[in-house]
Amino acid sequence: MSGSNNAQAGQMAISFKLNAKEYNLTISANERLLDLIRNRLGLIGTKEGCGGGECGACTIIMNGQAVNSCIIPAARADGAEILTVEGLSGGMENELHPLQKTFLEKGAIQCGYCTPGMLLSAKALLDQNEGKEISRELIKEGISGNICRCTGYQKIVDAIYTYARERKGIE
Amino acid sequence: MLFIPMLGKEKALNKGKGEKMKFSNLGKETPILDGLEKVTGRARYVPDLKVEGMLHGRILRSPYPHARLKKVDISKAERISGVRDIITGKKVSQHKFGPMVPDWVILPDDKVRFHGDEVAAVAATSEESAAEALSLIEVEYEVLPAVFDPELAMAEEAPLLYEEKENNIATTFYVHKGDVDKALAGSEIVFEETYQTNQVYQAYMETMAAVAAPGDYERLTMWLSTQIPSMSRLRYAEALEICAEDLRIIKPHVGGGFGAKFEYKAHILAAVLARRTGSPVRMVNNREEDFRAGNPRVPMKIWIKLGLAKDGTLLAKDTRIIAGNGARTVYAPAITSTACYRIDSLYKFKNVRSTGYTVYTNTIPTSCFRGFGNAQMHFAMESALDTICHQYNLDPIKIRQQNGVTPGFTSIHGWEIKSCALKECLDKAVEESNWYDKKKEPAEKSPVKKGIGVAICNHVSGNRPFFKPFDGSSALVRLTPEGKAIVFTGEADIGQGMNTAFALIAAEAVGLDVKNVRTAAVDTDISPFGLGSFATRGTTIGGRAVYEAAVNLKKQLLEHLARVYEKKIEQITINEGQIYFDDQEDPITVAKAIQTISYTLGGTSLVGHGVFVPETVLPDENKYGNVSPAYPFGCHIAEVEVDTETGRARLLNYWAVHDVGRVINKQTLEGQVEGGVMMGAGWALGEDMVVKEGKLLNPNFHDYCLPTAMDTPRGRIYSYFLESGDPNGPFGAKGIGEPSLNPVPAAIANAVFDAVGVRVKNLPITPEKILEGLASA
Repeated sequence: MSGSNNAQAGQMAISFKLNAKEYNLTISANERLLDLIRNRLGLIGTKEGCGGGECGACTIIMNGQAVNSCIIPAARADGAEILTVEGLSGGMENELHPLQKTFLEKGAIQCGYCTPGMLLSAKALLDQNEGKEISRELIKEGISGNICRCTGYQKIVDAIYTYARERKGIE
Repeated sequence: MLFIPMLGKEKALNKGKGEKMKFSNLGKETPILDGLEKVTGRARYVPDLKVEGMLHGRILRSPYPHARLKKVDISKAERISGVRDIITGKKVSQHKFGPMVPDWVILPDDKVRFHGDEVAAVAATSEESAAEALSLIEVEYEVLPAVFDPELAMAEEAPLLYEEKENNIATTFYVHKGDVDKALAGSEIVFEETYQTNQVYQAYMETMAAVAAPGDYERLTMWLSTQIPSMSRLRYAEALEICAEDLRIIKPHVGGGFGAKFEYKAHILAAVLARRTGSPVRMVNNREEDFRAGNPRVPMKIWIKLGLAKDGTLLAKDTRIIAGNGARTVYAPAITSTACYRIDSLYKFKNVRSTGYTVYTNTIPTSCFRGFGNAQMHFAMESALDTICHQYNLDPIKIRQQNGVTPGFTSIHGWEIKSCALKECLDKAVEESNWYDKKKEPAEKSPVKKGIGVAICNHVSGNRPFFKPFDGSSALVRLTPEGKAIVFTGEADIGQGMNTAFALIAAEAVGLDVKNVRTAAVDTDISPFGLGSFATRGTTIGGRAVYEAAVNLKKQLLEHLARVYEKKIEQITINEGQIYFDDQEDPITVAKAIQTISYTLGGTSLVGHGVFVPETVLPDENKYGNVSPAYPFGCHIAEVEVDTETGRARLLNYWAVHDVGRVINKQTLEGQVEGGVMMGAGWALGEDMVVKEGKLLNPNFHDYCLPTAMDTPRGRIYSYFLESGDPNGPFGAKGIGEPSLNPVPAAIANAVFDAVGVRVKNLPITPEKILEGLASA
């Protein structure tokens, strides 16, 4: 395949909302959503760990679901609402989402490569269980698609659990 | 001004265990100082870097485990639009180099030796062009007979990887102290067994990566995902046949390493392509090639024979190890020698003999992985002791207390154990886990059985023979006119939190608030030399250099304070960023004072320089000599449950007690232990690189099963730290990285045996092996 020769044929226009901002872009048919986010939008917080949807480093939230952006064609973003780690705090430069704050305080971060994906899986899990009691087991299951090789997961689970309880007003 | 520390001065400072010391910054749960950029996704790793005009590099890898390169035709590939350069063995120098054995070339022009070996490399303006060019390189291979099993590779009839290497043996290590045969003859208990440890993959989340860019003065800048910025600079200069000063290595954030990120062929190929094209070149492994050509753990077959007195006193140890080197030498020979004799300083052995062969096979070159051979031998030794206790009705806790090393002990190899709380680690683990109560519990009636197992460990904090010229570290601490301190070190934080530990050490030694201290990213144009992250040396050796630099800075600061504020040095105290004069009620801030001082000195910063050279030696021809300034110890107890219907074992609870000398940062220590335990559990219970005829069958995370959050203990990993106050470590601190993993596979194997009576001697402990064991019981 040679990108330049069939450029016209393989291209399409899409529009989507990412981190509360509207985008209208022309993409090529074989472009991955991960590459669109990283290379075209310059949002490097979304990491590539495996390229096969198996490690969760590239996790984003798309239409409320945590998904692996490395196995999703950019074309699928058309009409979608997307959240990446850069949008987690609501766009405020120096503010943190409480999950980010708890990860930081509880030592849930070591090398940091899995952190953005882990945060987004955690957020999707909590959003989907809004108002419900969240157990450690549910958290473990909810982040089981995200590999972390440094922390052994314990402090990550602790951080998510702490925030989930704080959110419900349980100390 | 060079500040040469007074060795031994530390002794007065470290009052040792039992005596409470008051610290402003140490022993707390301090979140990592670079956490904000990581949690916001702003932290930059090598794959995130973009340099103007950057080309994309890709490597053509061999599809055969052993083949002669008859012809490599790049003519079609060269015609692809966007391709700037293609290199093959014929186009590059064939001089040999390598970290331990000169069996590396930039690219081979004669033959390939493993499935994944580098054949050619391309640099193109896009990833797509580079990939297309790779697919058009036509290689004519003459497939050669290959050998994959290290033991078979030693046979007379085995095909040779290197003509000059008889029996494919890369290196042989031999050590004998005391008289093993005599001691075995006099032993009431003689135990003999063979254990096997498999090949596993470090699986750091950021794959191997480099960006190389030609710079001014004909120099080359390399941004590397590496554990060894300073050392790789020396080695790559050798590979590129240039002066090391013409190489600048920058280490940005690194997404884990665990031993893999040492000298790496793809880094060198990026550099060669950058120099040839005059353009920056990015080379980032995809996950499959990282699996196929990373630096996985050295697989070992370990035969061990132990002699004991009836009361459990260890009298003799005889071992023979056959280790897989893979197709070229990275660090496997040093890993084999470590497996041969490091554990001899865990127990008070008097008679030991060990032979280790590091053998070439047509498989992936193997190298360092957390534990460095000591982890492999811990599996054998600690499994063997457990079996002996079971067979001869000895107490597995007491046998370890009875034989374990103690403070002030010098091992048979001359290793000087200065600080040691091994016995206390055992006591604490036994107490916290309720070991004896749990041992008395009757067996479950359900098909799911519980079991509990123990293993202890030792390690080094620095390893003198790793880098032949020296061990040691140096650091700078700069206090800016704004009152901020910056630590410059060549030691490489790869995610463990070392940079935060260094900042805490500097803050404590000077009397600063750690919020105003940071550690700069390693840049060899600025940072002092640091050997890097290996041998659990960062906190101890790197940290001690930072401590010395901070002490030197404080001395300068006091002198200038005395001069500017017209006081005597004895009148001044600095604590948590405040300066107190004994004749003045209110303190002034360091920030205010340093600004005033700086204005009297032409605006300069104060710079403290510190060097730490441990009093260690290269072992002599008999392998005698103290290799490390400090030795960490620990005790692990694993509680598992084993489903006798499915054969699956899983963790219930885990207790890890470590003698860390001094707690610098409790939070990151716990993080290291929890990560080490889960990494060890992954190895023990399932991770395996499945290789058939030299080809890796599971080069992806779908088929290579890493532990997920679902595999963590149903209960918890409990970690405890004992402070033995080592005389050499900064404030007494010793390392934690590798000891956190060393005892894990054995503790789990022993717990599985306790649960169901099945002894698995070859890792991993799979459901199939457990069911097989249950069936044959």
